[in-house]
Amino acid sequence: MPSIQLVFSLSVLGLYLALWHVAPEKTIVALRSSIGILFHVLLPLGMVFLIMIGLNVFLKPPHLAKILGKGTAITRNLFSAAAGIISAGPIYAWYPILKDLREKGAEHSVVAVFLVNRAVKPFLLPMMISLFGWTYVLALTFLTIAGSLFVGFVVGAFLDSPNRSRQYDEN
Amino acid sequence: MSKSGRAGGLKIAVSAEGPELDAKAGERLGLAKYLLVVDLESKDFEALRNPRDSGKGAGLQVVALLIAKKCNAVLTGWCSPTAERYLSSHGVTVVTGMSGTVKEILAKFERENLKAKERMPDDLESLAWKMDRRAAMRALQSASHQIKNLLPVMISVIFLAGLFKAFLSEKFLTFFFFGSMWRDSIWGAFIGSVFAGNPINSYIIGRQLLELGVSLVAVTAFICSWVTVGLVQFPAESAALGWKFAVVRNLSCFGLSMAISFVMMFILGLFGM
Repeated sequence: MPSIQLVFSLSVLGLYLALWHVAPEKTIVALRSSIGILFHVLLPLGMVFLIMIGLNVFLKPPHLAKILGKGTAITRNLFSAAAGIISAGPIYAWYPILKDLREKGAEHSVVAVFLVNRAVKPFLLPMMISLFGWTYVLALTFLTIAGSLFVGFVVGAFLDSPNRSRQYDEN
Repeated sequence: MSKSGRAGGLKIAVSAEGPELDAKAGERLGLAKYLLVVDLESKDFEALRNPRDSGKGAGLQVVALLIAKKCNAVLTGWCSPTAERYLSSHGVTVVTGMSGTVKEILAKFERENLKAKERMPDDLESLAWKMDRRAAMRALQSASHQIKNLLPVMISVIFLAGLFKAFLSEKFLTFFFFGSMWRDSIWGAFIGSVFAGNPINSYIIGRQLLELGVSLVAVTAFICSWVTVGLVQFPAESAALGWKFAVVRNLSCFGLSMAISFVMMFILGLFGM
């Protein structure tokens, strides 16, 4: 069975072929525009690749999941934010690990902070800056990280028992 | 026998067909009936049922189990490249090509480990150089793999964005985004939450929407909700973390995407943008 990525790519190709028959002039405009975007993102994509290599060498988080259960509530959430930023790979790969953490006593708020901070991707910053500019990207990154702590607070307020968080603080 | 990741450790997992040390070692990590986690120093061991029959995601559950048990290494006949990559990135050495009983495999591993430690004092520099080179090659391979997975969809999104530019009229877009901050933000957050995938695609689409005249509020909400809100991932998130968690988190993140979009307008306004 073809992967969803292949289906998506073939659909876009099919769309171009269909639109070429219906409106060839506009399709050429679309093609030129797309090629322009492609050249625009090539250099930032190269930087993304180099940053990925650097992160893979220097920032391997072998015990990332362990730190999400230690320290005070504030440090746990901050570590969780850092872990979410560093984490890579599809989210589906992280669900079993997060589930295991939850079963071992990690709070819902900590898991929520981790998930929201997956929106912050250091290695994609060059791409984002090239498209939106420094000011926008810095402001968005800061707001996302700050907002993640708020989401953690809301999730914790609804789902975490006050007794559980006290046990963590006592430890 | 082939190795990846760091060598040597105290807690070793072995895939096995039975819950005892005399059991035959499992040929494939994901399919063996048991995982025996052995403390090499005390020789205590724990026999865990392999979650292989738990359906979709069982392979990742084995990976999660090994990481959760803090194993330093896993010995098996064969391990899938994806599982090996995840385990290695979490500091678990994967040793494949092992056969025999669990006891025999552990004895062989201990002998090899001892030889490696005896070699280390004299060959420390060359070993360190080899490990650095191996680490760099692994990092390069991992990055190449990530880019290779990212590229096809990203290129398709770029060509789709070109179609937006050529075919979407302002009239069509004003149906959804007609300048009301609240409505733009809600629509942006909603459309972003429906989509999933690498956030790089949201940046490309967002940029094109901006150039087509869609407001920054809508585009910001769209970019934020693309990753933080997941209607597509909702079933998987509920299954792993509970439906209450999934509902509360996604709703909070929807609200957060809108809030961020408003605050961004204010901040950019201060900078005259």
